[in-house]
Amino acid sequence: MRMAKEITIALAGNPNSGKTTVFNNLTGARQHVGNWPGVTVEKKEGTCRYQGYAIKVVDLPGVYSFTAYSIDEVVARNFVVEEKPDAVVDIVDASNLERNLYLAVQLMEMGTRLIVALNMMDQAESRGYKIDVPQLSYLLDVPVVPMVANRNRGTQELLEEIVKMADGEVQPRKFRLDYGREVEEEIAKLEELISQDDELSQRYSPRWLAVKLLEGDEEVVKTLRATKE
Amino acid sequence: MNREEILRAQEKSLAHLRSVYREDAETVIADARYGFISGLLTEAMRKPAIERRTISDLIDKVLINRWLGIPIFLALLYGVFQFTFTVSVPLMDWIDEGFGWFADQATTISPEWLGSFIGDGIFGGLGSVLVFVPPIFLLFLALAFLEDCGYLARAAFVMDRLMHRIGLHGRSFIPMMLGFGCNVPAIMATRTIENPKDRLTTILINPFMSCGARLPIYILFAGAFFTAHQGLVVFSMYAMGIILAIIMGLVFRKTLLRGPSGHFVMELPPYRLPTITGLVVHMWERGKVFLVRAGTIIFAAVVLIWLLDYTGALEPIGRAIAPIFSPAGFGQWQAAVALVFGLLAKEVVIGTFGTLFTGAEELGGLGDVIGFDLGWTALIAFAFMAMTLIYVPCMAVIGTIRRETNSWKWTVFVIGYTLVLGWIVATLIYQIGSLFT
Repeated sequence: MRMAKEITIALAGNPNSGKTTVFNNLTGARQHVGNWPGVTVEKKEGTCRYQGYAIKVVDLPGVYSFTAYSIDEVVARNFVVEEKPDAVVDIVDASNLERNLYLAVQLMEMGTRLIVALNMMDQAESRGYKIDVPQLSYLLDVPVVPMVANRNRGTQELLEEIVKMADGEVQPRKFRLDYGREVEEEIAKLEELISQDDELSQRYSPRWLAVKLLEGDEEVVKTLRATKE
Repeated sequence: MNREEILRAQEKSLAHLRSVYREDAETVIADARYGFISGLLTEAMRKPAIERRTISDLIDKVLINRWLGIPIFLALLYGVFQFTFTVSVPLMDWIDEGFGWFADQATTISPEWLGSFIGDGIFGGLGSVLVFVPPIFLLFLALAFLEDCGYLARAAFVMDRLMHRIGLHGRSFIPMMLGFGCNVPAIMATRTIENPKDRLTTILINPFMSCGARLPIYILFAGAFFTAHQGLVVFSMYAMGIILAIIMGLVFRKTLLRGPSGHFVMELPPYRLPTITGLVVHMWERGKVFLVRAGTIIFAAVVLIWLLDYTGALEPIGRAIAPIFSPAGFGQWQAAVALVFGLLAKEVVIGTFGTLFTGAEELGGLGDVIGFDLGWTALIAFAFMAMTLIYVPCMAVIGTIRRETNSWKWTVFVIGYTLVLGWIVATLIYQIGSLFT
């Protein structure tokens, strides 16, 4: 018998986006609740099998953003940056796209292998929103899966995309948001300096780190200070 | 060397951008991201020309109305307790009778100490706590309903507006709401509060939110001493907790923890019809904690109390402490012992009485026996309920406060101020109430 290929995926998303429901749909009863190392934030993990893959699903804390304002945000971000999961599924509330996509944009900036799960499509439709899913997927250049998680619709399609991502059929594109001339100039300066530091540039994408520094991110500043020679 | 250079460059860049944009770079970057999203959605999403007023909006017009919001919140809370009571009383009676019967059978067991252990300790002590499984689960079911349908977020919004006016942070109320289940996860939930002073204030006042473990105490005494107005009396305990939390929050914010409050815009999720599975899961998540505690810490505490009582060591402990509570009306050694052991877990207050007064069923219930044996009046019972609400949170909560504040100073402070405040409030209730009776 062929050994199942093991992959790890992370579920990200805003609070109230139906993340827990998606997690339950994917993993059923095969769940394990523990703590993130060093902090008392709850860490939920589960497993599921699909097409010869043993998929470990890690439920990240629900956050609106990957700044460093709360422990939840830091925990979620560190997992994505440090553990580099094989795919990150961002659960997005389709009826509140403007706000929810903010996290997706940040995930793309981090260079993650992102899949957007467009949850609560029924709510969006009942409000009269017409979402052009193929167009959205095309513009973002990431797979977008429409779902209604509380009726368990779209789970299969999501697994399909996860496996495609793991097979290397879908490659994450290099996403680069233009912050405007002034900001970009400063990013370039910082990026240059960061690239000269081998250890830093191996661990993080220099551009991402530069943007974080401009955001005044305490956690990143702390990391720089802590490892200072 | 290079890292220092990076940090210096960062500061230079930030200063430069601030002078160019007159805003922090953080805001400029966030705006760029929202700009990207807005552009993206213009191409990939069509909204109806005139956005339909959704049903959610219409309901919100009423539920978070400036004037109606708080009365509706209080009325719903009251409704929750009436529901909890009405449905659970017959169930509790059955369980109570069941344990009573077993306790009676146990008296025939020999040797005598074993019979006492099983009868008084297990069925009397632990049984008196387990009787409250139905109301606790029903309360959690009702709260799960309010949470899942989206109302709890509105309640937080309404209270948020009130709290803003008194200078408290808005995000505080969500952890406060969680406190109705258990203060441990509630205090952990304060992590979402960015401003450290807001967060600490919220931690300090969170224990005033009546957790599920305090419900049995309220129900026991309300049932025995306030037959006609049980729901109202229990509700008044929850309301007293909320009011004290607001007052103390204000006090801390104006004295020990002065400073500006953080900004936060509350999100109002749309109303949704809760699913049965969701309700059951949420009820179970909170309720199982109670069952686990009953099997572990409460059980251990009850065994300890039985042992101390059987060997005659309990009464002297109680008698040494009891005089402190005389001004509040409950200066009996049994009450003192119950309060001391209630520190392990608040359910143990009931467990202690259960062990000390077994065979209560024939006399109409544990609450009545306490009234009869200790000579308590409704006023004393009310003062005692207030004391159990306010005085030192249970061990698990103290541990959580220690971990989350990372400070023994604040932990000891919580223990001290809640003890003093509880004593003051209970004494005031008893002394002022005595003037009228």
